Amino acid sequence: MSDKVSSQIDVATIDGDAVTDPWREFRLVERITLELSQSYKYSLGKYSRFFIELENRRFLATRCEACGKVYAPPRPLCPACLQPTAWTELSGEGAVETWSALHFSPASNADARALETPYVLVYVLLDGADTLFPHLLKTPPDQVRRGLRVRVVYSDEPVRHPIHLMYFVPIST
Amino acid sequence: MPKHPVIAAVGSTAISSEHRGSNARDLMTEAVLDCLADAGLDDLSAVEHGLASYESDHFNLQMTLGAILQDTIGLTPKPGLRIEGGGATGALALRTAWAHVVSGLCDSILVYGVEKNGRGVSSRTANQLFALSADVDWEMMIGGTYTGFYAAMIRAHMAAFGTTEEQFAHVAVRNRRNAGFNPIAQKPMDISVDDVLASLPIAEPYKLLDCSLLSDGAACILLATEDWASAHCPRFRQRPPVYFSASGCGSDTMRLGDRYPHITNFRAKQAAARQAYQMAGIKEPLAEIDVAELYDSYSGVEIQAVEDLGFAAAGAGGPAVAVGAFDLDGDLPVNTSGGLLGRGAPVGATGILQAIEVAQQLWESVDARRQVEGARRGLTDTHAGIASISVVNIFERRD
Ligand SMILES: [Zn+2]
Repeated sequence: MSDKVSSQIDVATIDGDAVTDPWREFRLVERITLELSQSYKYSLGKYSRFFIELENRRFLATRCEACGKVYAPPRPLCPACLQPTAWTELSGEGAVETWSALHFSPASNADARALETPYVLVYVLLDGADTLFPHLLKTPPDQVRRGLRVRVVYSDEPVRHPIHLMYFVPIST
Repeated sequence: MPKHPVIAAVGSTAISSEHRGSNARDLMTEAVLDCLADAGLDDLSAVEHGLASYESDHFNLQMTLGAILQDTIGLTPKPGLRIEGGGATGALALRTAWAHVVSGLCDSILVYGVEKNGRGVSSRTANQLFALSADVDWEMMIGGTYTGFYAAMIRAHMAAFGTTEEQFAHVAVRNRRNAGFNPIAQKPMDISVDDVLASLPIAEPYKLLDCSLLSDGAACILLATEDWASAHCPRFRQRPPVYFSASGCGSDTMRLGDRYPHITNFRAKQAAARQAYQMAGIKEPLAEIDVAELYDSYSGVEIQAVEDLGFAAAGAGGPAVAVGAFDLDGDLPVNTSGGLLGRGAPVGATGILQAIEVAQQLWESVDARRQVEGARRGLTDTHAGIASISVVNIFERRD
């Protein structure tokens, strides 16, 4: 290992014929570790009120006054009418339309850590909405089915991204 | 009637989980030199235009890679551009190149695609980087991954049509088997439906063997007018001409939930196919297309695709796949290359690799074990995300 290149992983010679390989001059390969991390001053833009109201335990969607469609997640502009929408409050209750239990978590989400697996990604048709809202459903995967009634729970834990101020749980019957 | 380009020449690297001896520009160089040899050209001096096809600045840790690639192969100071469209990048690059030739902007254009998606980063980081191409605030931050979004879609398909895990396991088996007849394929496997069903769950109902590969690789196609190819490529006349005769493109909402209630299938793909079929004069796709490379990012996606492309009725894709309708000896062989599941999927090269497979099928130059006899017309289907962008390209042999 190199004592001059601290990031060096290895140096290897790639296989190839000494005469016929057109790249025989270039078979020595060094690999190094590169790291890049950055933080962003990231605006939540016209979505902001949705996230701010989660802190007040209110669940907002937007409604197009022109066509009546209710968007959850909110859309500031109705793509069908190209009209600015208006905020409207929903109960936060709805039904599971489709879902997946994930056994493999990405390296990090907003909380900069992998989620405990398995976790359940659900698409919920909220009462009063016309689109499906994706989020986590905190329940064992074998309890999930299409049509399962669920409600929003508001989190009191500090979070890194305000989308984590909420999640879904089944409505116990 | 516009003058459609021909595929003047093709080239590629082997597709691998890691080309450790090569960075992106090395891989692209290899594919371009392979294409040059296929054309019988000594250099690129006659070629009028370049077009770089790659998806990710993150995987490559290099922005403006398109300009670097153009420079690497000495195409400067000729015009060049870079095309990005997620998973559809390679097919969108070809469509853009097609438009350059059809419009008369140039008579020849070299489309070079490359990606190093292999082991440069961990699978977890790769999933994270791919998740950045979802809606960051609403889908990615909650821990959503594309495997999860696709899984939720196929579950909706199962609920609506009774599609089964066994049915999509057939796709995983067949495409990996086909890969065994393709010398550049990354992961040929001889597996059974039971092997797929028993593999580790990743995002239910998708299991490890339902999932496509992370790959390193590059591919290159020289598109040109037939006159240009005849005049400049010494080897062009040794094969029957294959025309890039039609292209369609569609789009859909970024988030699956915004498509409700249309969450079982890909509307963008349906739109792209409609356009391409109209342009090509195709009325009965199953009867009028002889070979097709479909975007099998996950096994069930091929079932959704055969429906959206009109090869099977809505909901009939699962049973059709399971009885072998799309096997090498079926009604319409698909993913003869092995597809994304078996050949591999270096994103910026994927759509180009699909077109190369179709062209070589039409030239009747592939391994006899996967050759479709007498194929005259082929199709590629490529999409981004969960088909927020979809591209259908059609190629025809005209002797
Ligand atoms: Zn509206």
